[in-house]
Amino acid sequence: MAHLPEPLAGLISELSKLPGVGPRSAERIALHLVQSGRADTRLLADAIVNASEKIQPCQICGALTEIQPCGICGDARRDPSLICVVERAVDILSLEKSGIYHGRYHVLGGKISPVDGIGPEDLRIAQLEQRLVEQPGIQEIIIALGSDVEGDATSYYLAKRLAPKGVKVTRLAQGMAVGASLEYADELTLGRAIEGRRALES
Amino acid sequence: MEFIPGFHLFLGQNAQGKTNLLEAVYLLSTLRSFRGAGHAQMVRQGQEGFFAGGTVVEQGNHEVKFYWSSRKKSLGLDGRPVRKLSEYFGLIQAVVFCTEDLQLIKGAASVRRRFLDLLLAQTQPGYLALLQRFARAVRARNALLKQPRPDAPSLEGFTREMLASGGQVMQCRRDLMPQLAPLAVDAYQRIAPDAEALRLEYQPSVKADFEVELAQSRQRERVLRSTLVGPHRDELRLLLNDRSAAQYGSEGQKRTLAIALKMAQAEYLTRRRGAPPILLIDDVMGELDARRRGGFLPLLEQARHARGQVFMTCTEENWPRELSRDLIRWEVKTGTVKPGAANPAR
Ligand SMILES: Nc1ncnc2c1ncn2[C@@H]1O[C@H](COP(=O)(O)OP(=O)(O)OP(=O)(O)O)[C@@H](O)[C@H]1O
Ligand SMILES: [Mg+2]
Ligand SMILES: [Zn+2]
Repeated sequence: MAHLPEPLAGLISELSKLPGVGPRSAERIALHLVQSGRADTRLLADAIVNASEKIQPCQICGALTEIQPCGICGDARRDPSLICVVERAVDILSLEKSGIYHGRYHVLGGKISPVDGIGPEDLRIAQLEQRLVEQPGIQEIIIALGSDVEGDATSYYLAKRLAPKGVKVTRLAQGMAVGASLEYADELTLGRAIEGRRALES
Repeated sequence: MEFIPGFHLFLGQNAQGKTNLLEAVYLLSTLRSFRGAGHAQMVRQGQEGFFAGGTVVEQGNHEVKFYWSSRKKSLGLDGRPVRKLSEYFGLIQAVVFCTEDLQLIKGAASVRRRFLDLLLAQTQPGYLALLQRFARAVRARNALLKQPRPDAPSLEGFTREMLASGGQVMQCRRDLMPQLAPLAVDAYQRIAPDAEALRLEYQPSVKADFEVELAQSRQRERVLRSTLVGPHRDELRLLLNDRSAAQYGSEGQKRTLAIALKMAQAEYLTRRRGAPPILLIDDVMGELDARRRGGFLPLLEQARHARGQVFMTCTEENWPRELSRDLIRWEVKTGTVKPGAANPAR
């Protein structure tokens, strides 16, 4: 790498920070970019800047959105009594695709994972409690975290913490394999999991 | 290279690559080294990674490919990446006999737990996933206990996970014992000169109630900052005439016992599957006297009758000549294998 011009080396190093991009592919992409037309790279650069400036987490639910609040939080037809708790913003997309859920969402931003130094205070749990105070119509919290060890422990934690707030706390039916994450579940399975949700003991 | 069913003997001087060959087969079976070497250690010096691959011929052919480097690891089955280890485990069943087996007797309890776990992972589809789940819960729990003031509900969340998966791990290990122990006792009797009475005793860390005993250990957990009760602390006791084989056994008894445990593993796999596993025998035959070898032979014969494969390494001086019938000989020299000279006994 010693012979690479500085700007090219810099681009490779930035690209290799992206998820799923190893040093090899970073090099390939960078070489492709510097050799393609000026107009094309300008379009790509603009698209990146534009998206990163305009897309923000929804201040209420944490979904990725261009407007505040997001389309789902602002949609009066969605059932305001249901909140589905997911780990990441992309999980909302999987559930929306299943088409069976008509309530609102709350993005936790992770799972409790002591090994990685992630505790409950690092997740958007306080914001969820805040919503319960500010939106009195909420009757049920549906927890839709993966069923791996951290997902299960976090679900249990949430059930415990939300129990005194007077809402029903349920969990997706375990239609998914052990350790499965929402991303890989197909639409039919997700639909069944939502319909078959069960109350969580705390 | 292609190995027909039968008895393959790899002959060669020391340090020519005989063990290396067996290790490649074992690696495809378990994704680990039987010498206890880490993956990085298995990479040829000066290279970035290693690759092992093969075609498994059984009911239909399966193509397996395993590549490892510190940057990239990939396991492929029939051209597709394997997502879950538990889906791969059990495809190639191999039992290795090697000098490191002595650690089963002399080594820490973790060596014996690994022995049980490997056997369960090879025969019970859900076991590996269960064990991984348990290990994850324990690791999370230990990380919490190391914090200055562990958050109680978080700890409780992971404790529940650990109790659930750990309880099932213990149950699987307990259920295995009545099947495995008699096989080990039989094998030992066949190869031990004086046939001391062997007893295998599963000694779980949890005596009666996991939850209760864990709760009772809280005080000590707080001091030592880690999980003290659970299947990660189980022991498999090995007793000869009611005394610990590790403490009272002679070297010869220990060696015999180690082989008996491996024979039991092979026998158990054979019964579960109806076909013998691949037997990998590294150097151990040379160490045994004629009588113990005699006790070992039926296992090899059985493998041959069932059209299984046996891979055995030896140096020229100490190969067991009573096995000269139907041997397929290979010569291993400076890392290359070629068909050996015609069998002189024929
Ligand atoms: N990571 C490595 N890279 C390169 N060479 C290695 C590596 N690890 C071991 N070796 C060497 O490979 C050679 C073959 O080792 P192997 O254990 O297969 O020999 P062997 O034929 O079984 O010998 P023996 O009869 O003494 O058991 C040895 O010289 C060993 O030092
Ligand atoms: Mg060797
Ligand atoms: Zn929103």
